[in-house]
Amino acid sequence: MLKIRELTKTYGSSIQALKGISFDVPPGVFGLLGPNGAGKTTLMKILATLLEPDAGTVEINGFDLISRKDKARRLLGYLPQDFGLYPTLTAEQMLNYFAKLKGVTDKRQRQDLIDALFERVNLSAARKQRLGGFSGGMRQRLGIAQALIGQPQLIIVDEPTAGLDPEERIRFHNLLAETAGEDAVVILSTHIVADVSSLCSQMAVIRQGAILASTTPQQAIYQLKESVWEATVPREQVAALKSRYQVISSQMLGGQARVKVISKGVRPSEEFKPATPVLEDYYFDLVNQRETAN
Amino acid sequence: MRNLLRTPFVAIFQNEVLLNTKRVAPYALMILFTANAVLWWSRPAVQFGWATNSDWYIVRNLLAFSFLLGLPIFNAVIMGDPVIRDARTGIDPLIFSKPVTRAQYLFGKFFGNFFVLVCCQAVFPLTQVVLQAFPTSRMIVLPIRVFPYFKHFFFFLVITHLVLAAFYFTVGTLTRNSKIVYGLAAGFYPLYISYGLLLIRPLPFRWRLILDPMLLGASLRGNGFLHTAEFLNQYVVPYTADMIANRVAMILLATLCLAILYVRFTITEQSGNVAKLSTLNLSTAAESVYYPETSPATRLDESKKRHYTAGAFLPAMPNRALPEVARANEGIRANVNKLIAALGVEFRLLRAERSLIVITPLAIFLPTLELAFYRVVPEVSYSATYATGTAKTLLFFLIGMTVFYLVESMQRDREVRIESVLWAKPTPNFVLLLSKLLATFLLMLSVMAITGLTAIAIQLLRGHAPVELYPYLVTCSVIVIPSIVFMAGVSILLNVVLREKYLVYVVIVGVGAAVFYLYSQGFNHWLYNPMLYQLWNYPDLTSAGSKQSIILVHRIYCLAASVACLALAHILFQRKSTRGVRMDGHLTDRGWSILLALVSLTTAIGTGWIISSMH
Repeated sequence: MLKIRELTKTYGSSIQALKGISFDVPPGVFGLLGPNGAGKTTLMKILATLLEPDAGTVEINGFDLISRKDKARRLLGYLPQDFGLYPTLTAEQMLNYFAKLKGVTDKRQRQDLIDALFERVNLSAARKQRLGGFSGGMRQRLGIAQALIGQPQLIIVDEPTAGLDPEERIRFHNLLAETAGEDAVVILSTHIVADVSSLCSQMAVIRQGAILASTTPQQAIYQLKESVWEATVPREQVAALKSRYQVISSQMLGGQARVKVISKGVRPSEEFKPATPVLEDYYFDLVNQRETAN
Repeated sequence: MRNLLRTPFVAIFQNEVLLNTKRVAPYALMILFTANAVLWWSRPAVQFGWATNSDWYIVRNLLAFSFLLGLPIFNAVIMGDPVIRDARTGIDPLIFSKPVTRAQYLFGKFFGNFFVLVCCQAVFPLTQVVLQAFPTSRMIVLPIRVFPYFKHFFFFLVITHLVLAAFYFTVGTLTRNSKIVYGLAAGFYPLYISYGLLLIRPLPFRWRLILDPMLLGASLRGNGFLHTAEFLNQYVVPYTADMIANRVAMILLATLCLAILYVRFTITEQSGNVAKLSTLNLSTAAESVYYPETSPATRLDESKKRHYTAGAFLPAMPNRALPEVARANEGIRANVNKLIAALGVEFRLLRAERSLIVITPLAIFLPTLELAFYRVVPEVSYSATYATGTAKTLLFFLIGMTVFYLVESMQRDREVRIESVLWAKPTPNFVLLLSKLLATFLLMLSVMAITGLTAIAIQLLRGHAPVELYPYLVTCSVIVIPSIVFMAGVSILLNVVLREKYLVYVVIVGVGAAVFYLYSQGFNHWLYNPMLYQLWNYPDLTSAGSKQSIILVHRIYCLAASVACLALAHILFQRKSTRGVRMDGHLTDRGWSILLALVSLTTAIGTGWIISSMH
């Protein structure tokens, strides 16, 4: 269990990236959902011991990760949002190096581990290839392989599927899901709602440096049961609908707008039909509510 | 009518100026040039009774400024990079997709950066204009003048640097490789001196003047020392027909460079350079990749969600369980293992450096050139003379290489964006720092060993036997190695503190130039001469010399200062580790660093005091 308490981070004198956030992260895949600039990467960097917060604590296995960074790094597997690798090394040399830095000193054990990791991320055939020739997907898979070295108890993956094609993305989801089955805390930071929906047992929504909600995807969707309605209307009517109803999304389809609104148990009008709620509806509803409150 | 100020050329020009205002290099250059202007204001004018603002003295200073102090190299720093920077940041497709012509793009970039370069250089005459109002005692100052400063600045300096700027800009843009530009810039002085000695020296004075791009021959013969002060103070430097022909030729040469660039420049990506880029961008594609919105996984029905696996869309993935592994992260042995691993990777990365192919043979060849082709007069013995000659020249190469490879390796992790991955691993900071230091140091030892062996081979080939190893070993261990260690310590500290590669280079080159200038002026105290430049001869390293004791104390002083630099670099390293100096009853890494810094600083102060009293 990871316990985050009153975590604050301000850049310069005015940009408050994290506003004293607190929440618990149980074992399993935990989704941290939020738009760009919400503070996700700042939080991930603090958890990865790369950034010093202004205040707050992060407790893991009974010690404070902020003040005991050296100890925390032994439990950590980190896949940053934006990372590179030495282009002149081969995949095997790179992974071997990371394993040594993680303290895997026994040569045979290290070799077995590297073999298993390559198999797991489906890169066995490319292990002798130089990293300069790797595609984005291959690099991302090598990234997750290095994060899995040494039975990490806290795995942090920051926007891992941005830039991956659909096939790579599903492979990546499977890898993460399998990893979470090994009693580790996996924190998945993303702005793609579908990633959280398909992978995470718990989630939190972060926006403007504050946690808006911490729940499970099922509970989140359940909250909207019989509340989401959709209709296909001419584009010109969208503005009028927005003024009358709580519109959570509108999408252009064949020259017309497909509009989704929230209305608790009451059909907004004849043209609306009940829609099965999805996590995206919950996210937009939450963000709209917060904007209205502000 | 079209407003010229709203053309893409002007927009690109303005943008280049704006970008340069946010860089460190132009400000660092301005500070350096101002300091030079102050330094050259009174010396040697006061000593020889020359007026500090006479027409001749203004030209003398401008010509020296244009040639010396690495100005041609700084030209490359500003002019070699603009188009490469666009390619590096990936902004070029955005610019090329706009209605901008090649000419507007290239000339906007060129003139924008050249304008910045000229502004930086203009600080020199501007400072000297201001200094006219602040004469020191015994200084002769003619009535205050402004126009001659800028007239000569334009004629002698701006046109010269226009050619260099056009050349560097052309090479940088066509090769999209800043290393080639900097390599050419570093080779400027040897090339120019060779050109002067071998090609134009035998020609009549008139042709020497016309063909000299720096126009150094425009100054009076004997650099003023053949004339009286009265004559020099009244002398007005004329722009002769030959000088004007030279300037016209330089402008035409610059135009030719830019014309070649315009013809050869292509806005399409150069396929050969893709693999060379060290930055690997992993997450820049569109954020909204395809995802099946109607997937069961996104629906409320949990019974369906259980069936959402990749297996439904993809062939089954291998699922080998990860084996349990033992990990060792505590204790000296674990950290030594990590250091060896990091060292191995640093060596692999060094081996991939293409610059080594050029620099290493140069470092080996040049120090032994004199031994191979000139008469060697033995002082103590032939071996001592060979060892001393090799060590004195090799030292400069090794210092330059130490600084270059350390700065590059320190910055490499950030440039390839692997830093965040490495820093999240349970590796102590000293492993990350020491691996780079040791890799560079071992490379320097290898170069030193090969150069030493080459010198021995030359000694044998020239029949200067017997070969004694002792002089070689003693010069290397007493003079060369401590000097390299000192430079390595300083380079690492500057990298950690400044964090900006070019700023580190500017500071090291600036301080180095200033210090060597002081040495040449006779200010050559042991305390600020870590390389012992001009302070030793071979007998001083043996019991036969009078300086053996002070040299040995000085070496301890240098090594202590190096250790202090390393300890400070460790304390100030941006990657933070465990807070505090004590944890669980033991000193933390930070605690050890503070202790080491205190001990080494105390040693350096103590030995410094001994040196002062012995001097």
